[in-house]
Amino acid sequence: MKEAQGPEPVEGQCESRSIEKPDLRDWSACMLELSLHILDVLENSLAAGASLVELFIEKDAAADRLTITVKDDGRGMDQAQLARIFDPFFTTRSTRHVGLGIPLFKAAAERCNGGLTIASRLGEGTTLRAIFQDSHIDRAPLGDISSTLMAVILADKSDLHYVHCVDDKVLEFNTADIKAELEGVPLTHPTVRDWLQAFILDGEKELRD
Amino acid sequence: MNLGEICQQLDLAVKTETGQLDVEVTGGYATDLLSCAMAKAQTGNVWVTLQSHPNVVAVASLLNLAGVIITEGMVPDEATIEKAYEEGVNILTTSLTTYTVVGQLYELGVLGVD
Repeated sequence: MKEAQGPEPVEGQCESRSIEKPDLRDWSACMLELSLHILDVLENSLAAGASLVELFIEKDAAADRLTITVKDDGRGMDQAQLARIFDPFFTTRSTRHVGLGIPLFKAAAERCNGGLTIASRLGEGTTLRAIFQDSHIDRAPLGDISSTLMAVILADKSDLHYVHCVDDKVLEFNTADIKAELEGVPLTHPTVRDWLQAFILDGEKELRD
Repeated sequence: MNLGEICQQLDLAVKTETGQLDVEVTGGYATDLLSCAMAKAQTGNVWVTLQSHPNVVAVASLLNLAGVIITEGMVPDEATIEKAYEEGVNILTTSLTTYTVVGQLYELGVLGVD
């Protein structure tokens, strides 16, 4: 079965996505692709003060399974908070009393014969795993993951370790390693930023072909 | 036109008697994708959907919608209705399809967000 794909990013460009979403009205996209759910989860990790966020995406055709894992070393949650994580009326935001990111992601996974689990330890970090039946008709495309990654990288709040496996093909990078090689030049430097964007876009394209 | 009048005209069942059916309806939006409702529905709109799970209440509360019309005979469970009452979210139900309800609303002059 041909894999459903989101819209192709413009050659050499990533859609501009901001990591800051203070006002709900700024969020003008419906969650029509998984990359937007992932962006939401990554924002949670950054808000939790993570210094390293790890995103693993694994597409296993033989098992017909798509697995998305986000692991952070942020402040984590205690048992009381963890018990409420799927309650849409639970949020750590002070601006509103509703937090729908995780409940919606969970609903999306469950609609595809999958599910979503979260483990967390106060002071150590949180790991979220969402599983989808890859070929399920309602499984949204991954979409523009490149823009999501760039938004996190350019926010410059945490290192990002990314691993995307499609059967036996792998795209991987760790911003910590890239920074070490750059010897002080920031990732937000225009030349570095453009290189990173191209690297990610090309890498993702390779995985699809 | 207020929500109470719409309820009467469309013969909707009121699941949550919040006492605020006199809220003025500013327009309507129809989708079964909650994220789309969050992106597009406006304050005071009536949202037409066949989704009946608790997240619907959260979205309606967040957006200050006039109410949610749940179609095709779907009915939220007691816990969801209880939560809707707590949050001041009006839940109305009908056995009709979303398509028909939207048509009826449109004829009453409840227009879309476009």
